[in-house]
Amino acid sequence: MSLCLVRIDDRLIHGQVVAVWLRALGAQRIVIVDDASARDEFLREVLTLAAPQGVPVEVHDVASGAVRCIELATTPEPVIVLARSPRTILALRQAGVPIEVVDVGGMGGGPGRKRLHKTISISPDELRELRELEQLGTRVEIQIVADDRPIPFRSLDSGN
Amino acid sequence: MRAFRIVIAGHGTFPAALLGTAELICGPIADIAAVGLAPTDSPDRYAEDLRTAIGRDHVPGRAGLRVLVLSDLLGGTPFNVASAIARRSPRIVCLAGVNLAMAVEAALADGDLDDALVEHLLEVGRSGIVETERHRARRAS
Repeated sequence: MSLCLVRIDDRLIHGQVVAVWLRALGAQRIVIVDDASARDEFLREVLTLAAPQGVPVEVHDVASGAVRCIELATTPEPVIVLARSPRTILALRQAGVPIEVVDVGGMGGGPGRKRLHKTISISPDELRELRELEQLGTRVEIQIVADDRPIPFRSLDSGN
Repeated sequence: MRAFRIVIAGHGTFPAALLGTAELICGPIADIAAVGLAPTDSPDRYAEDLRTAIGRDHVPGRAGLRVLVLSDLLGGTPFNVASAIARRSPRIVCLAGVNLAMAVEAALADGDLDDALVEHLLEVGRSGIVETERHRARRAS
């Protein structure tokens, strides 16, 4: 399977992704699945600008992203898939994208959000969505940068 | 005299340290600001700080003042936020990969922020990156 990293990160492409993850995984393509970015030509362009030369960036909505991820999962090309929220990853999983592990890498704080681990915060809806992903057989892990030891979501989820 | 403002944008204390170090080399620098991204800053929060440092579009007496944003890492949040702001405002130019040579060159620049100066700054940044043995061999040939 060549979806070498499927990551939830509310910043999508940023320093940790380009400077650490791309290099650590030798990924050659970034696929962003985000309805809002896919609709907005300006956001698409800013995301494309953020990647280093030679690393193509694709921006898809959930529907076309699912088709594209299923296709890329069968090729040997190492690909990083980024989404802003657990909801998007759950939708991809339900659409048949083979996601063995999802990395929770960046979910910021705010009203109604509870701290889960270090800089990772979570809303009640997101908590439910991550649990549902686990029920579908996708392992959920928290790993901010590649050198961090991945922490199983299950070990942090008190079940409340 | 330089006819544009400079804003250094980057992760953590890099912008403040780069500014302090540039001033160590060329003395106090006018019309320059450093905006660091703290680990707890959201992109929205950082955009606010950056917009404040860039200044409003129409300051009385300085309408349309051009601004050069020197950001640290291509694809990093400071660059992403700055490039989004720059794409919407033609008076702002955003570079990535800033180093000390570029910062000093920009600080000491004369006149307007035009295409020629932008090209020159990119060239200064690149040509200052060498490995001594390769640099020596090239100098000798």
